[in-house]
Amino acid sequence: MRRQVSWLVAALGVLLLACTSAQAHHGWVGGETIEISGTVTAVRLGNPHGELTLEVEGEEWTVEVGQPWRNERAGLEEGDLAEGVAIRASGEHAGERLLKAEQLWIGEAHFVLYPGRI
Amino acid sequence: MEELLTRLAETSLAQWMRLSRWGYAIVNTLHVVGISLLIGAITALDLRLLGWRRELPLAALGRLLQAVAIGGLLLAITMGGLLFLADPAGYAAMTLFQLKLGLIGLAVVNAMLINLGPGLANSSPRRLRITGALSLALWLCALAAGRFLAFVG
Repeated sequence: MRRQVSWLVAALGVLLLACTSAQAHHGWVGGETIEISGTVTAVRLGNPHGELTLEVEGEEWTVEVGQPWRNERAGLEEGDLAEGVAIRASGEHAGERLLKAEQLWIGEAHFVLYPGRI
Repeated sequence: MEELLTRLAETSLAQWMRLSRWGYAIVNTLHVVGISLLIGAITALDLRLLGWRRELPLAALGRLLQAVAIGGLLLAITMGGLLFLADPAGYAAMTLFQLKLGLIGLAVVNAMLINLGPGLANSSPRRLRITGALSLALWLCALAAGRFLAFVG
């Protein structure tokens, strides 16, 4: 019995380690930096982070922006990220059509969400 | 259901959870504190049920560890409810979130079956082993499902 329990604990430990190495970090997954432009078709702002749906040449992209304090620090004001707004976003290509924005532009205005990453 | 979720999201508490920087961080931290207490205590108890450290009296261990686990669970549920308010419709739609709630439900039922039935002290070794193994598996899977919410969707 004691041996069985030791094996069980060891197996669980290995499983947990396997899980953590597969998903090293929530924030950044090491994808290349890309830039996309499009029109915002849906918005959800707020914790744990905001999310825009962007229509880019007929395709729907998800653009993750910051939490409220980060967007505010970048200079974004209420209404800047809204449906119908055309934005250009640069950041990490984190999934098939998923961009984690590091900086974005609305017209000529430049907003930096992650100053340490650009 | 959808209407309820929308209404929940419109409450001032939900708005605070969406917008607050440190409030959200503190609630998140307390959620983890609750989970730590729960998993730490329940893992120790489950290992005892599986046959480890059989010299330690089960009734006394159960009184201590189940109290800590229940306290942790209540804290985790309360704080989890607040985190849920930040995006009710989003979380409710996630399969992994539904799975997590299901696993928590099963784990609670598993614990109640033995406590409302024969009790820890009067159960057969076989029943204790089954309960302990189920409990360990269910709680760890619930934890894994919860943590992975941040990495999917």
